[in-house]
Amino acid sequence: MQNITTFNIKAQYIYLPVFIVTDNLKLLEFDAILDTGAPMTEFSDKALQYAGFLDKIKNGVTLKDGLQTQKYDTVILPETKICGHQIKNLRVFVSHFEKSWGIDALIGLDFFRNYRVTIDYLKGILITGTNQSDDVQKP
Amino acid sequence: MKNKTSWNEMKTKFPDEWLLIVDCEVDEDGHILSGIVARHSTEKDEVFALPALDKSSAFKYTGKSTFPGGWRAHAKHHHF
Repeated sequence: MQNITTFNIKAQYIYLPVFIVTDNLKLLEFDAILDTGAPMTEFSDKALQYAGFLDKIKNGVTLKDGLQTQKYDTVILPETKICGHQIKNLRVFVSHFEKSWGIDALIGLDFFRNYRVTIDYLKGILITGTNQSDDVQKP
Repeated sequence: MKNKTSWNEMKTKFPDEWLLIVDCEVDEDGHILSGIVARHSTEKDEVFALPALDKSSAFKYTGKSTFPGGWRAHAKHHHF
């Protein structure tokens, strides 16, 4: 199966909505950036606490010079949805995100390892397939 | 029941704020089209405060992101 997800080509990064399914089956949507430099998907501690998957936010976490995010734990999310794909038991980093970043997740290389990802910047679309045999069809 | 507000209207009405939006209408990719703003604040902590609402929700920021990405940040972060 392959999905096509649109993004705003005028934005500085590729922003995508990501969804966490809570234990009581509510769907929580957060903004994420597709980040090929992040080895693993990360969520903000605030988002994970709100969703019920983090008991306590670590206080006093500050960004070290030059770092993008400050990771300090991992959790397993029973169900997430990214680019229309349902992902079960996704292990993610818990990170401190600055509020001015305006996002609560980075979609990392783990996503690229599991899906065939094609970025068409001219059209502003992201094509994601679930296996190597998917032929990428131009819309 | 409150009327729904479009995402563009939310950005105008609540500049540089975090929003918690319920009863969302989204496009086929999940991008918010409209909804009801249940919480809004310049302070992210206020919008993400517990207890969580017992509803499906979306969290959005109406300001411009200052995310410090780029290859230099990646290199320092992961390798050097």
